[in-house]
Amino acid sequence: MIRLNNVYMSYGGNVAALHDVSLHIAKGDFVYVTGASGAGKTTLMRLFYLAHAPSRGQILIDGQNITRFKPAQIPYLRRDFGVVFQDFKLLPNRTVLENVGITLEVLGWNKKDIARRVNHVLKQMGLEHKVNSTPQRLSGGEQQRIALARALVNEPKILLADEPTGNLDEATANQVMSVLKEANIRGTTVVVATHDRHLLDKHPRRVIMVDKGRISEGGDEA
Amino acid sequence: MKRNKATNRALKRPKLSGDAGGGRFGYFVTRAVMNIRQNMLVNTLTVGTITLGLLILSLFLLVYVNVEGLAENWSEKVQVTVYFESEPDPVTLRNLTSQVEALSGTANAKFVSKVEALNRFRERLKGQEALLDGLAPDILPASLEIRLKKGHRESAAVDAYVSRLKKIPGVAEVQYGEEWVRRFSTFMSFMRVTGLVLGAFLVLAVVLIVSNTIKLTIYARQDELEIMALVGGTKWFIKIPFLIEGIIQGSAGALLAELVLFGVYFAFLHNAGNFLSFNPADAGLSFLPLEWLAGLLAGGMLLGLLGSLTSLKRFVRI
Ligand SMILES: Nc1ncnc2c1ncn2[C@@H]1O[C@H](COP(=O)(O)OP(=O)(O)OP(=O)(O)O)[C@@H](O)[C@H]1O
Ligand SMILES: [Mg+2]
Repeated sequence: MIRLNNVYMSYGGNVAALHDVSLHIAKGDFVYVTGASGAGKTTLMRLFYLAHAPSRGQILIDGQNITRFKPAQIPYLRRDFGVVFQDFKLLPNRTVLENVGITLEVLGWNKKDIARRVNHVLKQMGLEHKVNSTPQRLSGGEQQRIALARALVNEPKILLADEPTGNLDEATANQVMSVLKEANIRGTTVVVATHDRHLLDKHPRRVIMVDKGRISEGGDEA
Repeated sequence: MKRNKATNRALKRPKLSGDAGGGRFGYFVTRAVMNIRQNMLVNTLTVGTITLGLLILSLFLLVYVNVEGLAENWSEKVQVTVYFESEPDPVTLRNLTSQVEALSGTANAKFVSKVEALNRFRERLKGQEALLDGLAPDILPASLEIRLKKGHRESAAVDAYVSRLKKIPGVAEVQYGEEWVRRFSTFMSFMRVTGLVLGAFLVLAVVLIVSNTIKLTIYARQDELEIMALVGGTKWFIKIPFLIEGIIQGSAGALLAELVLFGVYFAFLHNAGNFLSFNPADAGLSFLPLEWLAGLLAGGMLLGLLGSLTSLKRFVRI
């Protein structure tokens, strides 16, 4: 599903944020990307949906070399992804319904269908009563789950979750993990970036280690 | 990966809202209106800026239109007079008059006989008519007084008119206030050039201020643009609601400016009426013509549209 061949990436300047990264994540897989803060986890995941382009190397998503994509193709690539951002990126002046629904809005869904589908997903997260709140009036953990709902509402082929349990208590973290697992069971390829060792121990899966911009272990399927 | 709209995904995909006629456009307008409601502060700021800018511009236009109207009124004084050595007989006169009236530029031609000329003169000397005692009644010549149409009252045009007039048989002596016409023409072209330069600077200033304001407001909303792009919105899908928003802001600003302008105009007329104790309606103070008001509205829309379009270029890079 996701294959990187000798990928380099730099934010400008001489230091490469990613250095000669090769990895393969199979369809339907559930993997962790882990490593110290600043190792390059977020940078790596942002490459998958072309939030930025690599400076060198090849990225194949579902067999397609996306580094060759024209700008007009990028939106259609991104519709196959659901992304939970480390900083959520919820729109403060829109309601939960609109924040989650935006994924469907760009697909041209109409209001009624959006409302129905969003309500369904919020129920899974236990947040259906917050549908008309704005993000400012939600706790950090609730915002986290709203961000997850936005990523999953379209049943994406690939789910990228950047620290999805970052500031959650254990019970809520478990709830989030079970939502991720369910999505995985329904066929979504899941990639979770985290430096929470506890999470890896509790829900063991394949682990890709990133260290100072290099893959130090687990790059290939075991 | 297939790029077809229909992927064999578990999730049943409802119809695109664009499938119904005009549905897509309806979505864009709804989104734009919702965006305005959710970003009231920023929108108020933008509309306020557009209103202020267009108000200054339209106030300038109002002054310009009135000064020009006033100048046009003065130019009524431009009169070309054909003098006759002896009073023409009615047939010759009718013939001549119709030829003069047929000239392009003639507004009207009026015959003044010797007797009328003397009467007019006597009128002007009211109280001192005695001065005229003993003068022959035919001391003043008969004449044909010609008024010119608007647009034919400046030096070059008057000169051209006079030379055409002189070609008519029977027209010998022609007089017009050359000096006055020359000064009037100079004044008119000075006014036009100044107006144009000043107007151009005002337009430039308004365009710069408004487009910068729009840029700032869009900058403040780049999260929205970013999210739309990250969840797979296409370039125009993201941009169009913002463009509609810009058009709405532009028209709202223009309409508000016109409303305030009318208020100012009306208040001024009212006060002028009270203070100068004359009937304001007859004062010759005119409002902007309808086409200009429509032009101002169109200008406002264009300003909002282009301001948004250029600002979006920097923030939507897909
Ligand atoms: N927008 C950016 N511009 C320049 N450098 C950046 C940018 N984003 C990240 N970096 C740098 O790239 C490196 C990798 O950052 P990245 O965000 O991928 O780390 P991370 O593994 O996600 O860390 P964390 O666990 O703290 O989220 C860091 O050294 C960081 O300083
Ligand atoms: Mg990170």
